[in-house]
Amino acid sequence: MKRENEFAVGLVVIAAFSLIVAGALWLSGTHLGRGEAVHTARFRTVGGLGVGNPVVLRGVRVGRVEAVRLAAGGWVEADLKIYAGVSPPTKPAVIAASASLFGEWAATLISLEPPVDDPNVRQALVEAQAAGGGKWPGATLPDIGQLTAQASRIATDIATVASRIQTAFDSQAVADLRRSIRDFGQIADRLVRFADEQADVIGHVSTNLQQGSEAVAQAATDLQTTLGRVDSATNQGQLASILNNTAAASSDIRSVSQDLRELADAAHRNQESLVRVLVSADSVMSRIANRSGTLGLLVADSALYRETTLTMIQLRQLLSDIQANPRKYFTFSVF
Amino acid sequence: MISTIGSKTVEVVRAAGRFGHFVGDLARATADVGTWPRLTVVQMRRIGVDSLPVALFIAAFTGIVLALQASYTFTGTVPLYIVGTVVGKTMMLELGPVLTGLALGGRVGASVAAELGTMKVTEQVDALETLAYDPHSYLVLPRVIAGTTMVPIVVALGIATGLLTGWLASLVLLDLSTAEFVKGLKFLYRFKDTWFGLFKSATFGFTITLVGCIVGLATRGGAEGVGRSTTRAVVYSAMLILVLDAFWAMILL
Repeated sequence: MKRENEFAVGLVVIAAFSLIVAGALWLSGTHLGRGEAVHTARFRTVGGLGVGNPVVLRGVRVGRVEAVRLAAGGWVEADLKIYAGVSPPTKPAVIAASASLFGEWAATLISLEPPVDDPNVRQALVEAQAAGGGKWPGATLPDIGQLTAQASRIATDIATVASRIQTAFDSQAVADLRRSIRDFGQIADRLVRFADEQADVIGHVSTNLQQGSEAVAQAATDLQTTLGRVDSATNQGQLASILNNTAAASSDIRSVSQDLRELADAAHRNQESLVRVLVSADSVMSRIANRSGTLGLLVADSALYRETTLTMIQLRQLLSDIQANPRKYFTFSVF
Repeated sequence: MISTIGSKTVEVVRAAGRFGHFVGDLARATADVGTWPRLTVVQMRRIGVDSLPVALFIAAFTGIVLALQASYTFTGTVPLYIVGTVVGKTMMLELGPVLTGLALGGRVGASVAAELGTMKVTEQVDALETLAYDPHSYLVLPRVIAGTTMVPIVVALGIATGLLTGWLASLVLLDLSTAEFVKGLKFLYRFKDTWFGLFKSATFGFTITLVGCIVGLATRGGAEGVGRSTTRAVVYSAMLILVLDAFWAMILL
């Protein structure tokens, strides 16, 4: 009886223990006896990624997340156990993302070549890779909850806009809109009539434009011919001659400008005497204006002017008379 | 009324003191290694192996019902492979340990209380003491150790049976493939699911046998007293199992 008890108990214990161990290993996806490689990936945040989550390469499970821990520099490191015989990409990177709608996360192995399309993911991978240390760069996609929350906010905004549109489009607004459409139709009819009326004018203009275009083409041809001639002329050394003449003219201009500069210097030197002359002239003019001095009196006093004029006339008559009858005034004798 | 409250308080304190004294005697009895190990195997057979049919029966039908109810709840909204997840998680974390614990609380707790109560009222316990046998190392410790070690074993086999019948029910009644059921089973599985259920079961086994022993050895008043002790042991065991279930859920989950 005692042996029977021991056998029964032992059998049940062994069966249960084997079941527990085998079941736990099977359910957690642990592969015993196979050389599994552990690689560490670096993330800013791992989102919902946790220990035991699958590691996926091109959709196939190739390992599991072994550990997740906080690291220095604000990083999070995740140890990924990759099954034996699985070759990761040449330049591997890890994307942690929600694998289903029910909160399951997975770490997906990708290659950095070609680069990822998503700019945010690409930036996160570059940042994680720049930290160095031989760890695989990692990035995390927003989970379903964040996306649905964002979608919910967008839906709320759309509902608000729809509500505002509904408020704005009352019966009066619809009537106004209908009237506006009718007016727009009338304007369109008028525009059609105007276009019909202007069609002939536009035809004439088009004809003139065509003729003008032909004239311009002819002028262009002539210009091309002229340019050809200029080209041939310059090919025969005339251009060099023109340049030489231009250089000589430039030299002459330079000489003239030198003379002008000297002249300006002389004028500058004579400036003081000129100023003095002007001052004197100004003084004379002032005196004339003040009716002082001979000239001032002459200008101001009409009687004096007339006397002076009369004197001048008489003097001119005297001179004429002297010229006509010199003997009357001059006597020449030797003895 | 004041005197009633006072007497009840004294009663509670006295019960606590008796419990502490009992546990202290039990701890001292562990030193008597010449007595309790050879008796433990017998109790393991009676408490564990002999309880397997009822435990597996309960677990088998629990697995079937879980699969059917999960498919009924999730139809049209959630992919059907979640049936495997629900069956696995529920059996491992809650229904496996608790239903098995309640079943063993009725079967083992009542058995231990009745056996020790009968020995107490027929003065067999006194006779053991007269013969210099420590009742704790001879009667209590083998049962408590057997309960603590064998209840998790029974629960583990019950969980496996529940998963098996859940899978069969999904396969036959729900038109779910094996691959889908296994996918659901592995989905969201953590190793904690396993050890949490088994650890909880060990505390259930310890509680069931300890309560049975305490209540049994406190039996007074002949056959009627044995009946009262049996009932009391089952009720206390069931209540403590549910309290412990909530306690461990708060502490460990």
